[in-house]
Amino acid sequence: MSAQNDATDAPSPHHHARVLWTRHWTDRLFSFALSRPPALRFRSGEFVMIGLLGGARPLLRAYSIASPTYAEELEFFSIKVPDGPLTSRLQAIRPNDEVLLGRKPTGTLVLSALRPGRRLFLFGTGTGLAPFLSVARDPDTYAAFGQVVVGHGVREAAELAYSPLFTRDIFDDDLVGELARTQMTYYPTVTRENFERRGRFTDLIATGDLFSQLGLPQTKFDPEQDRVMLCGNTAMIRDLAAVCELHGLREGSNAQPGDYVLERAFVG
Amino acid sequence: MTFIVNDGCIRCKFMDCVEVCPVDAFHEGANMLVINPAACIDCGVCEPECPADAIQPDTFTDPRWLELNARLSEAWPVITMKKTPPADSREWLGVPQKFETHFSEASPE
Repeated sequence: MSAQNDATDAPSPHHHARVLWTRHWTDRLFSFALSRPPALRFRSGEFVMIGLLGGARPLLRAYSIASPTYAEELEFFSIKVPDGPLTSRLQAIRPNDEVLLGRKPTGTLVLSALRPGRRLFLFGTGTGLAPFLSVARDPDTYAAFGQVVVGHGVREAAELAYSPLFTRDIFDDDLVGELARTQMTYYPTVTRENFERRGRFTDLIATGDLFSQLGLPQTKFDPEQDRVMLCGNTAMIRDLAAVCELHGLREGSNAQPGDYVLERAFVG
Repeated sequence: MTFIVNDGCIRCKFMDCVEVCPVDAFHEGANMLVINPAACIDCGVCEPECPADAIQPDTFTDPRWLELNARLSEAWPVITMKKTPPADSREWLGVPQKFETHFSEASPE
């Protein structure tokens, strides 16, 4: 048996998806969409392995799916790292190129990992917004929570990709437009240059500004009604998780739903 | 960095972790699972899923667990779907010294 046959006889661990479009936001950020294999099922908020062939083994990284579960295409939001093993090559993909797509979406940033509540706070920094692009475009989210706050923390205002989505386009969406109009609040913040809101989420929470700016009477998260999802760099996850714990929220998982869930945003 | 399974898994073997691993990094022994450090992508999703709190980042644990996970993931088969946990798995939650008294290098039956 030839090596060729060996390779084709083994079931591929990945789908081979086609690039549908790319959009470059800045020299550090871009988005792209892949064709969705009919067999690929996922829950809004989950991530999946994405990769490219090349070398002895395919090179794969975990990417949150930015599309909601009902979408026909799979959207992703990525950084570009000049010497990043994958993103240095991935940023050059063009429509109709082939990209490897894992067969097993998974993750913790899903509605079913949270106990019922009234308000859902989604805090993403950088490309950590990606899973919340999915969650905030899923009607189930608005059925489960009366208010949904989409927090996006970045260093420079140009990195507020998807600002047009959350300030305009989502309100015209056939499925969630009406829901988003009455239930969704977009909460962008910038740390390193002038912007209408500045500062880290941890500071905005500690000062109570977050709650007052949202028109809420409280000065802390309320374990009875507030639920939180976190996605970002390691330090942000650590600090905000500590805040959640301090306010009496308990971490949830698929096996044991709780008050907050977290995931690191993936890089490289 | 990788995540590893420690002796908290022994005889509990709930296998919730297996369901959420995106890269099928878990390997099954007779009475516990281990993570293949070469396959683990460090996503951390399995950590909160474990009812026995037996999954940890390797940076926070006794190095012997990393060695054990690396070695036994070479010997034991990959497990990709959760099976029925042992009937008495809850009775072994938090039992001390499980490695010394109940560890088995055997493959699953």
